[in-house]
Amino acid sequence: MSGALAERVFAEKLERAGFVDVWLGGHRPYGIDDAAKYPLFTPELIEIMQRTISPDRQDHVATGVIVKAHRPA
Amino acid sequence: MEREPATRDLMFQDEIRDNVRQAYASIETGGGETVARRLYSEQELAEVPPGAVDWALGVGNPVRYALLQPGETVLDIGSGGGIDTILAAHRVGPNGKAIGLDVVEQMLERARGHATEAAVDSWTEFLEGEMENIPLPDRSVDVVISNGVLNLSARKSRALAEIFRVLGPGGRISLADLTVEGELPPEVANDQSAWAG
Repeated sequence: MSGALAERVFAEKLERAGFVDVWLGGHRPYGIDDAAKYPLFTPELIEIMQRTISPDRQDHVATGVIVKAHRPA
Repeated sequence: MEREPATRDLMFQDEIRDNVRQAYASIETGGGETVARRLYSEQELAEVPPGAVDWALGVGNPVRYALLQPGETVLDIGSGGGIDTILAAHRVGPNGKAIGLDVVEQMLERARGHATEAAVDSWTEFLEGEMENIPLPDRSVDVVISNGVLNLSARKSRALAEIFRVLGPGGRISLADLTVEGELPPEVANDQSAWAG
């Protein structure tokens, strides 16, 4: 999650790489409770997230998105 | 003597890469059904062996959006336990090819076993390699998919350039990934496991 980009930055990087028709959709919120279902998030990290992320953001810390694009024909 | 900033950045990139690799090599299970049922339909889950479901670690369903066609060659970057590679293999069929790429040998072995169980192994291949240095020729695939993987790279522009290189003209990507708007608290952002998760 620490390496996740903002959507705008993601799209810009794709365009800089040469991709066209960049589309981001299929948004799915990821909160701390969702992160806790993944073994890659340690209990210590989940505790830090619960302590340091504001309550109004804890159910949407990150967003799962689908990114589509084409290499020009 | 203090190192130059560029050297420090390269060391930081190596540290992130090693931490991510170690984290994925050390886990004993994936997200299991709890994660899989959030992302895949009953019908999709019925197409893959239970072991591949157990090792689901993604954040979306890139195969559903990829609109794969029979005969296409698809590359799954960060294939993990193989759930998306196997779903892709079913869609491209025996006249196509599904290639999984991962840096973790244990994951590759699991995925090969799951592909055999799913009876797609004759047109499915799993390769060891990094997304920043894909071991495939230029313009050799039609579609690239990945699921929760690009955010793990400390060299995202390099990874995207590699994806572009291996795609043929008109080729397409369908990537599921996490995005974050704004800053994470420094205690979270600097935690090593937050880079892998």
